[in-house]
Amino acid sequence: MADGDGNRDLATAFAARERWAFEEAYRQFAGLLYAAAYNVLGEAEDARDAVHDALARVWRSPGAYTPARGALKSFLTVCVRNEAITRARSQNRRTRLAVRLAAEPVEYDELRIGDPIESDRLRIALAALPEEIRRPLELAYYDQMTHVEIARALDAPLGTIKSRIANGLRRLGAAMRHA
Amino acid sequence: MIEHVGDDAAMYALGALDDAQRDACDLHASACPACAALLGQACDDVTAMVEADGVPAAPLRAKTLPRAGLGAFWPALAAVILVALLPASLLYRQNASVTAQLAQEDAMVSRLASSDHRTAKFGPMPGGHSARVMYGPTGSWYVVMVKGTRKPMQVAWMHDGEKTMLGTTRSLGEVAMLYLPQSHRMEKLALMDGNEVVAEANLAY
Repeated sequence: MADGDGNRDLATAFAARERWAFEEAYRQFAGLLYAAAYNVLGEAEDARDAVHDALARVWRSPGAYTPARGALKSFLTVCVRNEAITRARSQNRRTRLAVRLAAEPVEYDELRIGDPIESDRLRIALAALPEEIRRPLELAYYDQMTHVEIARALDAPLGTIKSRIANGLRRLGAAMRHA
Repeated sequence: MIEHVGDDAAMYALGALDDAQRDACDLHASACPACAALLGQACDDVTAMVEADGVPAAPLRAKTLPRAGLGAFWPALAAVILVALLPASLLYRQNASVTAQLAQEDAMVSRLASSDHRTAKFGPMPGGHSARVMYGPTGSWYVVMVKGTRKPMQVAWMHDGEKTMLGTTRSLGEVAMLYLPQSHRMEKLALMDGNEVVAEANLAY
């Protein structure tokens, strides 16, 4: 996922902590970052807070991002997703589950009107992976389980799980880019 | 410094590492271009998954951006986060009667998850709050949920020009709830603040 020249400039300026770069990154990636958080948390207000918290954490940590870390968009997306996962693990799961269960389906549908073709691409790409690779990847991505939890759930050695997830993610990423 | 990141790059990007392991990866990558690139590639892969997973249409609300010099945004947000992260079990553990309460909440969640149910909204709520009631198809159980306020509210059954008090909502972090595990068919419920009816919900069967 190579960035164009414009985004390389943006990444360099972001790494140099230039204020305009922060604002421009927010402007360009806000929708994607919100999606990354919402798809984990399932709640709009929590998702917004996770985005702001993650961005502020990055901005307040000199050296957190350098162009050597690759595309700024991907770096920020993973930061936001990790923030959302941390929140999801920490918050009162009982309350969260109750809120989700009680949510009216229409609200959920209104929020998840992403391109269905795009969603199909992910499902198709996942389905093309062998079961032993697909399952741990699904548990990590959709259920936000840690690698230790996945190894326990699938009754497999930790090293094997890590290897399968890494393998699956590489294959999936390549499939998504070439689809 | 840890060994090269290796397969942990994928765990990092998927969020399958804990905070300490993630920090260790960041620290190592800051001095190891090869591992920095490996992490970048894994982040690209996960971002491709997020993009393909469907992007919600709800926009980010205009909100004060965090500033390098810090502003009023952070103390407020930090306070919210602190409250949100306080585990309810720690708060409740001091009270022996809480065990029964937690069991009831578990039962409520289990019922919502496993039982067919209907939903009705309470009419316009003041102050941007919202409330709804989930109930069994025959009215044998009810869960009243109020979002946006932790203030306890009374729930009443409205019938024949009278009000029968059913109970009071209890704060569960971001929402306040009342669970009536065994009840009977009720066509209209009201949320009350003291003696004042705040909102009503009409239940269809």
